[in-house]
Amino acid sequence: MINVVLASSLRLINLSGQMSLAHGGMMTIGAYTSTLLVMKLGLSSWAALPLAGLAAAFVASLVGFPFVRLKGIYFSIVTIFFSEMVVLTAQQWQGLTGGSTGIFNIPRPNPIDIPRILTIAFSSKGDFYYLALVLMLISLLILYAVENSRIGLTFQGIQQTDSLAESVGINTIGYKVLAFSIGSFFAGITGGFYSHYISAISPDAFSFLFTIYILVYMTVGGEKRFIGPILGAVVLTLLPEFLRPLKAFVPFFFAAVLIAVIFFMPEGMAGLPERTKRGIEKLLKRKTIPPTPTLPLKGGGRGRRRPEPP
Amino acid sequence: MLEIQGLTKFFGGLAALSEVDVSVRPGEILGLIGPNGAGKTTFFNLVSGVLRPTKGRVIFAGNDITAKKTHHIARKGIVRTFQGDNIYPDFTVLQNIILSCHLKPNVGLFETVFHTPGNRRKEKEILHRSLSILKLVGLDAMADVMARNLAHGHKRILGIAIALAAEPKLLLLDEPLSGMNAEEVSETMALIHRLWQSRISILLIEHNMRAAMSLCQRIVVLNFGKKIAEGSPDEIKGNSEVIQAYLGAGEYAA
Repeated sequence: MINVVLASSLRLINLSGQMSLAHGGMMTIGAYTSTLLVMKLGLSSWAALPLAGLAAAFVASLVGFPFVRLKGIYFSIVTIFFSEMVVLTAQQWQGLTGGSTGIFNIPRPNPIDIPRILTIAFSSKGDFYYLALVLMLISLLILYAVENSRIGLTFQGIQQTDSLAESVGINTIGYKVLAFSIGSFFAGITGGFYSHYISAISPDAFSFLFTIYILVYMTVGGEKRFIGPILGAVVLTLLPEFLRPLKAFVPFFFAAVLIAVIFFMPEGMAGLPERTKRGIEKLLKRKTIPPTPTLPLKGGGRGRRRPEPP
Repeated sequence: MLEIQGLTKFFGGLAALSEVDVSVRPGEILGLIGPNGAGKTTFFNLVSGVLRPTKGRVIFAGNDITAKKTHHIARKGIVRTFQGDNIYPDFTVLQNIILSCHLKPNVGLFETVFHTPGNRRKEKEILHRSLSILKLVGLDAMADVMARNLAHGHKRILGIAIALAAEPKLLLLDEPLSGMNAEEVSETMALIHRLWQSRISILLIEHNMRAAMSLCQRIVVLNFGKKIAEGSPDEIKGNSEVIQAYLGAGEYAA
């Protein structure tokens, strides 16, 4: 479920034409922010969680301004370096982050206690499940609202032709940073949630491979549609559970799925229904329309009548 | 309205433009012509803020806008069209315009995400304005067509419509007629004439001489980055330097 939020928020960044590979780094920032706020300042974890998201979004907006001036693959590369930088900082700043061993015994979220209606103590995994579910639904709702607003439209316009968007007065750099920040906000929240769930955090918890997995969820599910990353994350999170005995081979499996999807379903799983529909329509057309009568012309093309010019 | 003084741009050691002075008067169509590589599009890129000039000043309505960012310049009222990349291919024609109605009314970030009543009213206003722009340029019948599926001529007209959505005071048209058939050319010329009648000043780059001569009140001729002539279409037609630039000098030249 966490993966759903991650893949969907990554898609939002992607919507503006930028492929961010900093999600792991943003999660690390969120995780440490939330952990330190709770453990050192004694903040409630409910306040710390959104602050974790804001911290990631704030960092994203700072580094975003220089980053988004780079286009395409170059942007992706600097975001990878940024992620690594976050990991290194967490390792070296021992006083604050506990160095490469990380921080243990992170307290669980404060219990929710509404008398006579609901009491959740967060002592079992099941309680976390509901928290994750609520978190996911809220996140998806917000992401959906953003995408279907004027901002979402602007992101897509920038992705298609950014010089044109700039020419009618749209601050394309600003919008790209905005997309990067909103996406990173959710990565930060997710990181914070994760640290409370696992109750430990180390600098390399969200490795580069982890970010790549998020990317794979998004691509396999289909990045063109909102439902795509959700579908991809769910399927690819559940499938490896059946491969438990072969755990070491999971990256191979992911690679195989990714290649298969790119070859056979260029629009991802979410594009499948539409593509099959189109395919069937094509087949039906071929059957119902009789072949056009061939003209008695010598060497006249392939025997197809040309459409009359209007 | 637009005053350009000593505009110069070097690409490495090559002077793409040197010491060009141009002024556009309010409510006129000024033509910018010249052989290929004369620096016309560079000129547009400098005025619209895509490139920074090496030297020179661009003053619009009393404000110095030299080397300002493109979206700032668009906000001030100068909007340009492009020769290529002039539409959003994966939007419908209507969406192309709706997105480009970016400046007015000003839609806030939060109201659009939370879909407030105020936002709904503004979106309605934008939709209304977009439809009237499509009607003005004659694309209203194709509002729901995917922009990538338009015919070439319609794509070019959509490019102009997108620029209009930003409510320009001065419109920079970069070869609006290129690649059009005769019918499309006359339709687009009529459109440019209508825009001029609605008090929009226009700076027009065009290779189609007959169109440039009939549309423009004044014409500036560039060659190798230098202004070689300026005047009414009739003066330009008779200018020997212009004829030389286009046809080349030689013993057979008039």
